[in-house]
Amino acid sequence: MKKISSDIKQISQIKYQEKALEYWGPTPDEARKIMVGKSKALKDKRTTLKDAVKAHIKDGINLGIGGFVNTRVPFAAVQEVVRHGAKDLTLSFQSNSICVELLAGAMILDPDRVSIKRAEFAWWGYELIGIAPLLRHLTTNGLIEVDDYTNYGMSVRFKAGAMGIPFIPIRDHGGSDMELINKGTMTECPYTGRNVYLVPACHPDVGLVHVSAADMNGNSRIFGALCTCPEIAMASTYTIVTAEKIIPEDNIRNFPNMTEIPHPAVDSLVERSYGAYPGACYGFHWFDMDHIKMFRAACEDFRVTGDKTKLKQYYDEYVFGCEDHDDFLDKISYKTLNKLNKLDGGQPIILT
Amino acid sequence: MPEYSHVEMIAYTGSRVLEDNTIVFVGTGLPIVAAMHAQYTHAPGLLMIYEAGSLAPILDMGMPLSVGDTRAGRKATYMKGLCGAFELTQRGYADFAFIGGAQIDMYGNVCSTMQGDDYNKPRVRFPGSGGAGAMAANCEKTIAIMALEKRRFVNQLDFVTSIGFGNGSPDYREKAGVMGSGPYRVITNQALFGFDEDTRRMKLLEVKPGVTPEQIQELVEFELISPSNVKEMAEPTEEDLRLLRDEIDKEGYFLKRQIQK
Repeated sequence: MKKISSDIKQISQIKYQEKALEYWGPTPDEARKIMVGKSKALKDKRTTLKDAVKAHIKDGINLGIGGFVNTRVPFAAVQEVVRHGAKDLTLSFQSNSICVELLAGAMILDPDRVSIKRAEFAWWGYELIGIAPLLRHLTTNGLIEVDDYTNYGMSVRFKAGAMGIPFIPIRDHGGSDMELINKGTMTECPYTGRNVYLVPACHPDVGLVHVSAADMNGNSRIFGALCTCPEIAMASTYTIVTAEKIIPEDNIRNFPNMTEIPHPAVDSLVERSYGAYPGACYGFHWFDMDHIKMFRAACEDFRVTGDKTKLKQYYDEYVFGCEDHDDFLDKISYKTLNKLNKLDGGQPIILT
Repeated sequence: MPEYSHVEMIAYTGSRVLEDNTIVFVGTGLPIVAAMHAQYTHAPGLLMIYEAGSLAPILDMGMPLSVGDTRAGRKATYMKGLCGAFELTQRGYADFAFIGGAQIDMYGNVCSTMQGDDYNKPRVRFPGSGGAGAMAANCEKTIAIMALEKRRFVNQLDFVTSIGFGNGSPDYREKAGVMGSGPYRVITNQALFGFDEDTRRMKLLEVKPGVTPEQIQELVEFELISPSNVKEMAEPTEEDLRLLRDEIDKEGYFLKRQIQK
């Protein structure tokens, strides 16, 4: 039970069920035990997405999703999760659009293949393009449980997980309704005597992260905004990394300061160019607004009409109609990819 | 005076309230347009934080379409991730925050999570806090951009997403454990609001030429503090409009968009 609080209850009218102060995934002790039990060898971790997903994705897991809204999102990995199937998922992320909507759409089409039980997050939508139709459908119909944080709250929960601490004190959520409804709690600072908010660490069972480049051991470089990818990779008990490019270990050793994810945090590594497409990847390509709009329109059509035809058409064409991400990219024209490359491919990155 | 749209007036007013040699934490859309306009005009030393992780980018590849846009990192001076960006705000490096939302109350609290009375089964679900709740907590001054409508300027929020002055009591923010001083301005196309120092209630500062304070009060559910010396809002010049239309938002992504109903 939450004992200390701000004065939020004086202005709040929301009905809610207080959440237990617990973890929606591995506890810090469980997460540590798994990490301690792993081989730390520098070894070639390259595999296919199909095998990586088969090895780690199971029903009932907490799935951590990297990137931010439509930037460097692990879309190829999420597509493979949908093909593989996973039920009763807990999703944890800060802000996302297409990855979480793709999982939600898969649940609407066939809940025996993919289902989301609950989600802990800060933001689920498309920014400029509009609200997320399937989030609205799932929440207003009471089909999933949600737990709201700020973008910092979710990011720092992964950071606490990456740091190996059970919670972290922060300066937001207090005085808002998130203080009442989420798994954080207000406490008195032992040093200043002031109220300070605590949020629990978040250890996903499996983290999905797309990076700019990695060596075969999984040492990863990220260019552009890091989003919360290093923290998610290091907090997760198992991490699948997809990389635009595989680079030699010597390059990593020449500039070790540029390694954002160290090799022991990576369990499976997949060389996957355009792994974030239709999202963007700094230094490689911009996002494909037309494709995102097309997918969102199929979702919105379902939300408004209740008819799943257009939604099913998208999945039949772009998810189940593809053996893997290469097949998916085959359906996107060269002209489109070339245009996206030109819109962001010139930003400087260092692969040497 | 040249003709301008509602959104152009909001972007221009957003630019006006920013100051040179400060740091503004921007959200997607009009805040980016407003901050770029300020850089082009009265505040060349204004710097932006984008929450995906960049500080002080030079946007020479064009306006980012979202705060996660890869171009928001263009030629930045410092680039980490979300933790790095928000820790700048906790530490006191961010002077201004720009937030938006579906509802605002007289103490500047903002809702952007849901509408309805039951958190577990909302009538309408919005994307959620995103960065807004953290920006409103820990950037020093919060600027909200809102459409001026009675259903948005309300007595009672459905959900408090971004903290303002809470119930208006002087220690609300301190008891909430947040660091920033709180709501500073509320920008709409017809009026600019501030907050009364003693009561922390929303106060009318400026109205669009031709509009009366009474007409503004008609669009607001709660009682505004309406001093006798309410000023007229400055209007964008030809040059301001040229910058907005031809230099900043060339494709009209945000400026051609009507305020979402």
